[in-house]
Amino acid sequence: MSFFLKRTAGAAANLGRAVLNNSRPAMVQCVATKTDQAAPQVETRPTVAKVDPLQKAQLVDFGKYIAECLPKFVQKVQLTAGNELEVLIPPDAVLPVLSFLKDHHSAQFANLIDIAGMDVPSRPNRFELIYNLLSLRYNARIRVKTYTDELTPVDSACDIFKAANWYEREIWDMYGVFFANHPDLRRILTDYGFEGHPFRKDFPLSGYVEVRYDDEQKRVVVEPLELAQEFRRFELSAPWEQFPNFRGNPAAEEVTNPGDDKPKQ
Amino acid sequence: MAGTGRETVRAAIRQVRPIMSTDFWEARRRALGLYKAFYRYIPYIVKYFDIPKTENDCRWKIREYFYKNACVTDIRVIDLLVLKGYMELKEITHSWSQKGHIMAYWQPTVERKPCDFICKFLTGVD
Repeated sequence: MSFFLKRTAGAAANLGRAVLNNSRPAMVQCVATKTDQAAPQVETRPTVAKVDPLQKAQLVDFGKYIAECLPKFVQKVQLTAGNELEVLIPPDAVLPVLSFLKDHHSAQFANLIDIAGMDVPSRPNRFELIYNLLSLRYNARIRVKTYTDELTPVDSACDIFKAANWYEREIWDMYGVFFANHPDLRRILTDYGFEGHPFRKDFPLSGYVEVRYDDEQKRVVVEPLELAQEFRRFELSAPWEQFPNFRGNPAAEEVTNPGDDKPKQ
Repeated sequence: MAGTGRETVRAAIRQVRPIMSTDFWEARRRALGLYKAFYRYIPYIVKYFDIPKTENDCRWKIREYFYKNACVTDIRVIDLLVLKGYMELKEITHSWSQKGHIMAYWQPTVERKPCDFICKFLTGVD
């Protein structure tokens, strides 16, 4: 992520090169942050992803910068997997945050790569929406996460990103999250007349209906399915340990958490 | 005392963002609008889709589907159902859904489950 390089570079003529050539030490002004002071040990194991401390420091700084720019909207900024920046926002803040990230000069996340959904039935706001953005200008990615429940509408990002149209239709079809002000919200993956939202955790694996060709009717008929599966239990932890080397590591490290800093009212 | 009482009331009434309607009557009006839209399209359904149903059958089927959700009182749920209904109507009017999808509302191939003793005895279900 070289928006920081750009800020320090100054000379406009060298900008393109500074962006392309990430690791040129002369251009880089190292700013001491928490991550630098922690004295990162060099990763030598070939199968473990190497974390670039410079890139990480820049990500941390950019995360803090976003949190300072949008104190009303950003609830938390975190780093996952060492170098993936995530911004956690409430559902009302989708439009301002996305337009900030798209239009701000030192962000320019002009591409919406994907909108993903997640269903965690135990939470009060059970659905999580994840916007993956790409900045071609700075060769950087960012993830914006928000949350909603079955009935709360989320503002459609179609006005900001044209790509959001079909992604939001997909989320609507799979999870049933309603997007307000969407130009053309309807099903995209399921069959016409399909009922339910298949990616919800309470949707049975076998579905509710089965479809077959009927010789007497000379057409495809839909019939309700006898459910062999009674109740889906979600035992997310496996009986064995997949990543014993990462036992102690937290999944996400916090960059800033403005929500907790405020005094409780 | 009064202050805490007000706060508890505020906590109990959660502010939610409406989908479309702000009160029950508006939601009801939208539902009636959807019903009318479906009702007016019935002749064209019978005309354009090769289904062995009359207009009256279609009317009864639409009525049945609306009465299925008659007990819904949550405004946002009503709104969502109305929106889904309009999406379905659009699928029909644009001929995206075909004969099989229309006939799926009647489900003529589905056998009714035996409910009384004699029927259960004759079909061998306990």
